[in-house]
Amino acid sequence: MITETISKYSYINKSIPRIDSIDKVAGSLLYLTDLKLENALYAYTFRSKVAHGKINAIYTEDAEKVNGVKAVLTYKDIPAMNGYGAIVPEIPVLAYDKVRYYGEPLALVAAETQEAALEALNRIKVDITPLPVVRSIDEALDENAPKIHEKGNIARHTVVRKGDVEKARSSAYIVLERIYETPMQKHMFLEPEGGVAFVDEEGVINVLAGGQTPYRDRIQISRVLGIPPEKIRVKNTPTGGAFGGKDDITVQIHLALLAYKTKRPVKLVWSREESGIAGFHRTASKIKLRTSVDRNGYLLSNEATIYLDSGAYQSFGPTILDVSIETINGPYRIPNYVIDANLVYTNNGIASAFRGFGAPESNFAIESMMNELADELKLDPIDLRLKNILKTGEVGPFDNKIRHAEGLEEALKRAKELFYRPDPTGPFQRTGVGIAVAVKGVGFGTLPEYPTAAIEIVPEGRVNIMFSNVDYGQGINTGNAQLVAEKLQIPVSQINVLHSDTKFAPDTGGSSASRSTFNAGNALLLACEKALSELKMEAASYFMTKSDLVTYKDGYFYFKDKGVSIYELAKRLRLKGKSTRFEATLEVPRYAEAVEGTLEVPHMVYMYGVIITKVVVDELLGKIKPREVDFIADIGNVINPAIAAGQIEGGIIQGLGYSLIEELNYDKDGKPLNINYTTYVVPVISDSPLINVEFIKSYEELGPFGAKGVGEISIIPVGASVADAVTDAIGKRSYKLPLLPWRII
Amino acid sequence: MAYEKVEVYSPRSLAEALEILSQKKEQIKPVAGGTDVMVMLKDGALKEKELLNLSYIPELSYIKEKENHILIGATTKYREIRRSPIINAYAPILIEAVRQIGSPQIQNLGTIGGNLGTASPAGDSIPPLYVLNAKVKLQKVGSAREVHIDKFFLGPRKTVREADELITEISVDKMEPGSYYFFEKLGLRSANAISIVNAAGILSLENKTIKYLRLSLGAVAPTVIRATEAEEEAKGKELTEDLIERIAKLASEATRPISDIRGTAEYRKKATYGIVYEALYKILKGYGKKIEYGFEKIS
Repeated sequence: MITETISKYSYINKSIPRIDSIDKVAGSLLYLTDLKLENALYAYTFRSKVAHGKINAIYTEDAEKVNGVKAVLTYKDIPAMNGYGAIVPEIPVLAYDKVRYYGEPLALVAAETQEAALEALNRIKVDITPLPVVRSIDEALDENAPKIHEKGNIARHTVVRKGDVEKARSSAYIVLERIYETPMQKHMFLEPEGGVAFVDEEGVINVLAGGQTPYRDRIQISRVLGIPPEKIRVKNTPTGGAFGGKDDITVQIHLALLAYKTKRPVKLVWSREESGIAGFHRTASKIKLRTSVDRNGYLLSNEATIYLDSGAYQSFGPTILDVSIETINGPYRIPNYVIDANLVYTNNGIASAFRGFGAPESNFAIESMMNELADELKLDPIDLRLKNILKTGEVGPFDNKIRHAEGLEEALKRAKELFYRPDPTGPFQRTGVGIAVAVKGVGFGTLPEYPTAAIEIVPEGRVNIMFSNVDYGQGINTGNAQLVAEKLQIPVSQINVLHSDTKFAPDTGGSSASRSTFNAGNALLLACEKALSELKMEAASYFMTKSDLVTYKDGYFYFKDKGVSIYELAKRLRLKGKSTRFEATLEVPRYAEAVEGTLEVPHMVYMYGVIITKVVVDELLGKIKPREVDFIADIGNVINPAIAAGQIEGGIIQGLGYSLIEELNYDKDGKPLNINYTTYVVPVISDSPLINVEFIKSYEELGPFGAKGVGEISIIPVGASVADAVTDAIGKRSYKLPLLPWRII
Repeated sequence: MAYEKVEVYSPRSLAEALEILSQKKEQIKPVAGGTDVMVMLKDGALKEKELLNLSYIPELSYIKEKENHILIGATTKYREIRRSPIINAYAPILIEAVRQIGSPQIQNLGTIGGNLGTASPAGDSIPPLYVLNAKVKLQKVGSAREVHIDKFFLGPRKTVREADELITEISVDKMEPGSYYFFEKLGLRSANAISIVNAAGILSLENKTIKYLRLSLGAVAPTVIRATEAEEEAKGKELTEDLIERIAKLASEATRPISDIRGTAEYRKKATYGIVYEALYKILKGYGKKIEYGFEKIS
């Protein structure tokens, strides 16, 4: 249920329809993988059928002989650096010494026809000596495990501590020690990875491919090709779903390389199965917690050993590990803790960003722990949390002063009214209720961010707004248009969004970390201020007066009884040869230094959520049916309630899949088993429970018109709340996701 | 990844189809809706390089009554079965199963003969055919034979169909008026799921005594199976919770499941017990599905 409250604003707090919805609903929108370029070559990827092995030779001669083949590229054809990766550029563009996962790219083929390209693909031969395969965190940690990388199987190790855990534990009333496990999850976006590339008349390599962060894509392409970023254009819109899975490079470098080498337009789209084999997934986790609490239910200590499975390489692994560190204490006051966090290499594909980014993994552990502690203490789980949550102004676990935590307290109090076990629905159908709390930082924490956005007042009567974040379905185009409309007091219909294209939009960063509203929104508002101040002077000149006597309202400047529109003024600026485009850069508020051993801990602005999940468990079949989910969110001021609720609902359903049925599996040789929609089962609409979304009235002064962010918060606490509800229903606690029926009975 | 080149033959009559089949034999793959074959083709899992497209043979698509039987043409689509008044009146268990197959898109294309030809142990239309005593008609140039469904499957994706034969018709018994029936399917999601376990049953009661129980189980053995021991146990006894437990146990014991990504063998045994128990329990408590038809009621 979305209630629109009475608001002092004209264009925000309003559930206006998404501005890009008509084409999507009509099916007329051309995604980048739909593009057909004239004279384009068909490209395919030759992939390893060995999960771990030493490359002795790659034979391409026979493939090159196929009629119509224009390029067969291997690592030898890479002009500059053979590596990419959002944090550490260690992922080979094309494998050269070793292959480290099944499906790793070894060669690229481009040909005049699909048939020729496929024939060439068939003719490529490789000589690879297989090595033993590391399939799990446990196998990777074994002292006799084969080394996937020269430095070993630990990609990153960080220890963060505070206080004296031994002392705290020794005085504790209850100490619980548990191991929690979560699976690799696939994004399963509807549009697989793909796009087109071509070299234009000016020699610029245009890469038009689904993605999330065009400027970082551009830098990564530039390093591999050894050409300056200005000679590359990346356009990421429209993208048919991403969820983090397109945040690092997928096809972009391969496309650029092929276009650069062949000087021809190229199209490369992964099949669903290739997306399943070689696309990214969420880190699997194994987290050991030892948590202690006093007789009154106050947390004393938390000792966490975190292992995240990064797969064959690090993509966002280091920062995902950071978020898992930051969220393993929940939003709680824990005076003593030790967090020993490890990013582990295995031969399981490559783990990367996925909605929640390390938080769902940690949340399942700490929130399951809180629920079990409440049980042991015979305390209401909401009361236990109310005792332990950090309050506004308190100093958090990472010496960060907590801003605005009052929303969480309010959400927990509201949750009390919704927290009850539903009546049984029939024989063998047990019902249960579960709860969990989520916290997640907005943006990149202590990592410096300087997003730039621009607006252009077009004399013909519209305002272009420009930012590089991608609207891949989450609705930021509409939200950001509403923010600008509010600032300029003009209807949303006058606003035109140009985004996610390095040709038109300045570098606002990408769509990730629930940051697009906060960063692009704030930068756009700054650009609006610049525009208004400049236009005001122009208005003063028009009125033949001083600018401090000029007022502004609803797109018009006024002096006495005369008015002039921003478009009329823009026309005057244009006649004078002045620009009507206004750009501004935001220094994102952050703490000066990261916690040692981390890159982005802590964040300054947190989103909060409380989830209550009600389930029905068939006790004979072990089948869990989520029946109702309540989600109470503190996401700051809500720009568009319907879109925000849609984000919350989507995250819940994706979280239910993660909790109940989704799990990427590999066979004994490291080959992925479930790589398409038939075998990798995601929920369908009829699996959705009744979802009730409520927003706490909240205002974050640092955000644009008080907004924080929304994209990730709802998926985070689903796992722990479902496991808790199942425990309530059948009396048996689960420590491993997903809760497949055969793990229940 | 991409489609292999295949040659497609689209005959306009059964005679023509049989003629092609008699020449090509194992080189050609008969295909109707293509919901399985096209996936195999895309995966490179199809060994045949030629397809015999049966979509343009209207004489293979029908549903009609013949005395105590219903005759269903092999290329009759799931959608047509779902909407058939004849099936609805005399074999609603088949509708119960077919409506749970895949999605509407699959049901619009997939055919009952295709489900038999694919011979997946998890095929959802097959368990009802077992309890309806189905007979599969196999035709070739110059002759035809009928095989009881019990004898039709040899293993996963293996049937008794000879390379020059075509599945042309399925005949099923009409269900007895007043009998109870169920088709239960357990998948990882509520639609578009491959069965972990499925079960079909027809229970005929006289007063409270079981005249007969027919029970078949899918996805728990190399082929769909009849739970004959369970059926024997039920015969002539009063339906009670104790009996249901014995039947469910015998059904579970009859299975020979494997472990795969859709479930462990152990779980499939437990789930068989659960699915059969719950289905019969519903009937015991008076909310089972019951077939009501007969001319006496029409007047």
